[in-house]
Amino acid sequence: MAILNLLLEHRDVPGITNIDVWEAHGGYEGLKRAAAMERQAIVDEVKASGLRGRGGAGFPTWIKWNGLPKNYDQPHYVLCNADEGEPGTFKDREMLLKLPHAIVEGIIIAGLATYSKVGYIYIRGEYTEPAWQVRKAIDQAYQRGYLGKNILGTGHDFDLYIHMGAGSYECGEESALMSSLMGERGNPRLKFPHAPLPTVAGVWQAPTLINNVETYCAARWVLANSAEKYASYGTERSKGTKIMSVSGHIARPGNYEVEMGTPLMELLHQAGGVINGRLKAVIPGGSSVQIKTAEDCEKINLDYESCGANGTLLGSGGFMVFNDLTDIVQLMKRTAEFYMHESCGKCTPCREGTRWMFKVMDRIASGAGQQGDIELLLSIASQVDGRSYCGLGDAACWPIVGAIKAFRSEFEYWIEHKCSPVGSRFFPPQVEAVNPILALSAR
Amino acid sequence: MTSTSYNALTDTFIPKPIAEPQQADRFSDAAIAELEEIVTHYPERKAACLPALWIAQREYGGSLTPGAIREVADRLGLSYTEVEGVASFYTMYNLKPRGRHHVEVCTCLTCALLGAYDIVHRYEHELGVTMGGTTEDGEFTLSEAECLNYCGGATVIQVGDKYFTGVTPENCLSLIEELRKSQQFTPALLADSIVKIQTPGASTSGGGSFAAQDLI
Repeated sequence: MAILNLLLEHRDVPGITNIDVWEAHGGYEGLKRAAAMERQAIVDEVKASGLRGRGGAGFPTWIKWNGLPKNYDQPHYVLCNADEGEPGTFKDREMLLKLPHAIVEGIIIAGLATYSKVGYIYIRGEYTEPAWQVRKAIDQAYQRGYLGKNILGTGHDFDLYIHMGAGSYECGEESALMSSLMGERGNPRLKFPHAPLPTVAGVWQAPTLINNVETYCAARWVLANSAEKYASYGTERSKGTKIMSVSGHIARPGNYEVEMGTPLMELLHQAGGVINGRLKAVIPGGSSVQIKTAEDCEKINLDYESCGANGTLLGSGGFMVFNDLTDIVQLMKRTAEFYMHESCGKCTPCREGTRWMFKVMDRIASGAGQQGDIELLLSIASQVDGRSYCGLGDAACWPIVGAIKAFRSEFEYWIEHKCSPVGSRFFPPQVEAVNPILALSAR
Repeated sequence: MTSTSYNALTDTFIPKPIAEPQQADRFSDAAIAELEEIVTHYPERKAACLPALWIAQREYGGSLTPGAIREVADRLGLSYTEVEGVASFYTMYNLKPRGRHHVEVCTCLTCALLGAYDIVHRYEHELGVTMGGTTEDGEFTLSEAECLNYCGGATVIQVGDKYFTGVTPENCLSLIEELRKSQQFTPALLADSIVKIQTPGASTSGGGSFAAQDLI
């Protein structure tokens, strides 16, 4: 088990963003095969592949696809979540840039399977360049008749539009994304079981399918090849591959597609190993998941179950590597600052809790920590976790609780000695005296 | 012209005078056509609020003045406060004027590990502004960005709609030099034209990212 390029197979082919080159490499075969199948058979194919959502939660994809009403009585919508914002993750950016046709094809297949006539790709506002590639891919797909009226003689119409976000991490959460698509502030909504699932009442209260970029690409691969082949990769409960975005203190950062169940250390080795020191810690799935020590990394395999059993998550695949000169406390202070900035402010526990966690982290990491601050952090975290509409509040707590669990001695060292245990220059001295508090409030 | 606000107690819409003094609409004919095209993508006009604000930001020269927000509200049939609420939520809508180049340094986890704060301090020293400030000549606005999601190319700097990757404290000043020479105006206002045209084959190219070493 190691590097296995299914989705990223053609990423380095010159001109692959052009539809001619894409078709020469088996492009739109999945759509042609799906068009010849019964609608239910498409869903069954996805079910047989065992594909699970690649946006972070790992929810079985076929259940969403199967949940929409199977008729044209009311409008349905297909949404593609390309609002990638998780620190450490950049797989969607590369796929949008290099394989836009795979995404477009996957969305059309999903539209066909769910009786949806309109699809939207929600791309984050910063991704202008990737969005242009998708724009061109959509135009070419219209020219070839893969989009528009009566696709490939199925009698099914499908239009695909791009919706640009405008800079909000929160909009990567599905209900906030739907609010944003409807022209509102990107606030989340109540979730199941307190409110209907998006497949029943999503955007504009219509049945809505929403998946991540990578999920649509994987679904396309399943339709273009076969479910059996996809299911033959990976572990028993996590099928197929996962794209890991490797960054940090690593020799060759980049996107690596690995088979599910690959040992974590194997990926580390493939990416060239740790630079400027020895391995200290890894965050395997984006900043929202728990940090793991070097010893724990030996035990972890990259699949949903193994990560879960070891107290972390595979998440969105933002694989960050830290060498032994990294100061975990300052790292967590920066993480807390990120969540403080990105909390949308709708739910009080998250809005206030993320601020308090940052204040306490800032106090510790600036050498003013007091005895009991660790307990205070854990207490705040326990009052935020699970108490807001969406997962942002939870995601703000997990890394800090995880770091206290794994590196408690470093927090204690900071509180006792008012300095870094590793002498790290994470927030280096400034060239000219600029008050950091002023700099923060000026933002 | 008045906008309305909704009163939940009485279930009525109350006309409300606009605080902003009346200004002439500034959307060009092309921008209006573009907006009307975008509105057809959605089942209701309100949904075009985000793209309309992108257009407004372009038409009003890089920032959303109260007049720009009022014009978007009028064109979409929304209230002023509703549009202002949306505009103030998203970080890429500039509610105050920015410099000719908006330099955003990513200081999130990976970039911070690999020296983003060193770059920030060099820029603060070079430009003589703190984070979030604009230089006196109106050339540069410097700000800190949350994760720009190109961690493999850390440190990442975004100028307008372009990403500059692999920036280090050693080569970061060459980017400023290059921008000083450039004639273009680079706030983030190009994103709107992507949603513009649905006609097949009508796209033109745009955007691009450059490695820092290309500049040297």
